[in-house]
Amino acid sequence: MLSIAEKVLFAIAVMGSASLAYRGFSNVVKVIRRGTGEPLKVDLDRFFRALGQWIIMKPIWKTRTLADVFHVMIAWGFVFYFLVNLGDVLQGYFPVQFLGAGAVGVAYRFLADVFSVSVLVGMVWFLLRRFALGSRRQLVIRENVKVMEAARAGGITRDSVIVGVFILAHVGFRFLGETFTLAQERLHTGHGDPGQPFAHAVSGLWEGLDESALVVGQHVSWWLALGLILAFVPYFPYSKHFHLIMSGVNFLVKPDRPSLGALDPVDFEDEALEQIGVARIEDLPRKHLIDAYACIMCNRCQDACPAYVTGKELSPAALEVNKRYYLNLNLAALAAGEASAETMLDFALSESALWACTTCGACVDICPVGNEPMFDLLHLRRHQVLMESAFPQELQPAFRGMERNGNPWNRSAADRMAWAEGRSVPTIDENPDAELLWWVGCAPSYDPRAQRTAQALAKVMNAAGVRFAVLGGRESCTGDSARRAGNEYLFYERAQANIETLNEVAPKRIVTTCPHCLHTLGKEYAAMGGAYEVIHHTQLLAELAAAGKLDLPGGEASGAVTFHDPCYLGRHNGVVDEPREVLDALRLPVVEMPRHGTKSFCCGAGGAQMWKEEEPGAAAVNATRFDEAAATGAQTLAVGCPFCLTMMDDASKAAGEGMAVKDVVEIVAERLGDRA
Amino acid sequence: MNIAVCLKQTPDTETRVQIAGDGVSVLEDDVQWIINPYDEAAVEAALRLTEAHGGEVTVFSLGPPRVEKALREALAMGAHRAVRLHADAVPADPRVTARALTAALRDGGFDLILAGQQAVDDDQAQTPQRIAQALDFACVTNVEELTVEGGRGAARRVLEGVQEVSSFPLPAVLGVNLRLNEPRYPSFKGIMQAKRKPIDVIEAELAEPKLVVERLAYPPEKAAGRVFEGVEAVPEVVRLLHEEAKVI
Repeated sequence: MLSIAEKVLFAIAVMGSASLAYRGFSNVVKVIRRGTGEPLKVDLDRFFRALGQWIIMKPIWKTRTLADVFHVMIAWGFVFYFLVNLGDVLQGYFPVQFLGAGAVGVAYRFLADVFSVSVLVGMVWFLLRRFALGSRRQLVIRENVKVMEAARAGGITRDSVIVGVFILAHVGFRFLGETFTLAQERLHTGHGDPGQPFAHAVSGLWEGLDESALVVGQHVSWWLALGLILAFVPYFPYSKHFHLIMSGVNFLVKPDRPSLGALDPVDFEDEALEQIGVARIEDLPRKHLIDAYACIMCNRCQDACPAYVTGKELSPAALEVNKRYYLNLNLAALAAGEASAETMLDFALSESALWACTTCGACVDICPVGNEPMFDLLHLRRHQVLMESAFPQELQPAFRGMERNGNPWNRSAADRMAWAEGRSVPTIDENPDAELLWWVGCAPSYDPRAQRTAQALAKVMNAAGVRFAVLGGRESCTGDSARRAGNEYLFYERAQANIETLNEVAPKRIVTTCPHCLHTLGKEYAAMGGAYEVIHHTQLLAELAAAGKLDLPGGEASGAVTFHDPCYLGRHNGVVDEPREVLDALRLPVVEMPRHGTKSFCCGAGGAQMWKEEEPGAAAVNATRFDEAAATGAQTLAVGCPFCLTMMDDASKAAGEGMAVKDVVEIVAERLGDRA
Repeated sequence: MNIAVCLKQTPDTETRVQIAGDGVSVLEDDVQWIINPYDEAAVEAALRLTEAHGGEVTVFSLGPPRVEKALREALAMGAHRAVRLHADAVPADPRVTARALTAALRDGGFDLILAGQQAVDDDQAQTPQRIAQALDFACVTNVEELTVEGGRGAARRVLEGVQEVSSFPLPAVLGVNLRLNEPRYPSFKGIMQAKRKPIDVIEAELAEPKLVVERLAYPPEKAAGRVFEGVEAVPEVVRLLHEEAKVI
């Protein structure tokens, strides 16, 4: 127990620390509340779900297993230390043993002992990782990426060292304090507390010290352990250690999106609408301001980012780091309601970085704290296109095409059915009782290579007796490319028109050739009044195969196939098994690329990249992905998306590897031969 | 500097033209209307000049109410005012069009009158020259670079094997081509502002046409391409290229 003087002193220190910390914490709250969008919704159900996520840390385990193990050793220990600190303060002020001498107390002290050591070990590993181990390179952001001076000049390292040393010292001194306490016990009872095995072992060091020395050691340790907390708390909201709380807050307020990348619609009917998208940091939705505080700067997102990996100026990690440093440096002014002096393009990322994103969603998927950097980019693009009309010139013909002719190729709407000439492809007017409405899509309608996918699907559906129909001339672009390029207004117009058509047709079920149509129709139109059941053609094929409706002759054993998961099929829509089930039904040996399923690596065409030149970098995204496919030794690269088809086909031709690139349905149609 | 731009609303270049029952006009039902791309370049050039030198851009178009969509698009790009010269149909005779435009432009006090050198639908390429003639202004056609400084303009044109730069006093009438610039894409802000800008409608002074369209017909269908295979076909291909296609 503390002396009266110590008790008074500690109480004063607590008040001092709290008043210093209050300003920082309240400023963070004020800044986040400046963000746009719906007020953050929280209910009990969400609370318990978030608490579960926060404690289990499930998203962490997707990659870097060793770091994850050490992280959990620290994180669980640190969480347990909330209890430990409370107990230590109570024991300092009152002559009690926290949680008593019974089973609960015994268990508590055992866990405190074990967690102390686990935190210390874990923290030492993380400091080694930052400065000595090979994996420290994961913490570097490449020079061509915009990073704010304060962060680039050692800010992150300094912050990390402060946090690391604080944790080591706080937990270390608390542990030492226990060893002094146990040594005192031994003086009185002749034995220590073997229920705290680590502290018990270390307490042996103090053999021979008299009681007064042990008491001094105990008090000094108590003061250092808890005093460090008081010293650290005012710094906490500026430190990346804040992720400890803000990751939980992020889990708590993250919207329940229909898919990982589904965007919220803008209400263009709203007369008061003036600001669209994001120019300055305070324009960001609240959730994306919280992202900056939740980020621990682990750079997992940049490792997964196809733009970063191929040497572009984009790093989603740098974006979050810059947001955080900008908020830290301007916290008081922003909290006071001032407009930020710079736009996000001034400090957070370059224009080339903004237009390098393929919207593959890998950054959102991999983030252990629920951040969504891709959304920031899309909000920034919206502002650039709709408010500034500043975007890569090559996108203009695609915009014009979607606007005027209903397809980004800007080909005549009258030619939409040209691919189907001479084939049995009924329109909905010809076959109003169709069970399945086939949304063919622009690429399969107009692109000569992708037309073969549409022709193959028509052949397979006819052979399987599927009663389908197409919209024919009434079909028009879903607007996905416009939306991902930031042209939300064009997307809105497309969506309105298509929803009107579809609601009139009222299809029982829709099948799409393209995963981008799948995503837009299935996950994004619902928010605008168009809810439909939508499946991808590989899902239909898997269904037909399982129902025995695909009469596939054996054929000769052909070579191995590797399947490239399109981002908007696997990661955005969770369709991973069905394409493989189809290949299995064909009895084709499937070899997997290292990055597959929801961890697939983009082909480089998403996010409207299809319509523009790739941003400058070290390598082309499609070539990088193709090399990975070629390295499997498979003879055929199977895809499920017309954009992937183009990108992989181009890469295959450029590499001269002779690897065939085919849509899954083309492989099925080939097996059917001439029988259909 | 105040600039007038004459623009025509034309069908999108991807439109499949369908001849109407009267045999002399085109069905307008499924037509996607756009600003004639040459005129769009003229609007862009006018906007850039007023952004640099101040002043206003007024866009003029002759035709029925449907052409207001094209005027609205020009307003969304940033034009300040728009005038529709009302006519029940767009005249087929360029002389009628030019006369109506001249009447509207004559007292406008414009320093510069810009138009595309031709429209993608009828390709007559007469409007700028006729307006200049009627107003007795200098006229340059096929302009692909334009500068204005101190009351004079200079235009560059690319001719067969040579580039020509000419200068002229203002006011002047210019017919521009597509290489002049890349027209801007209207921002949403621009589209919203355009909705609030008024479009003046005045009755067009339509002269009696001297030119009458007698008949529209589809061009003869192109014969399908022929495919030759193997080296042994080369002499035959050479002979056909020489005798039938007459390209070698």
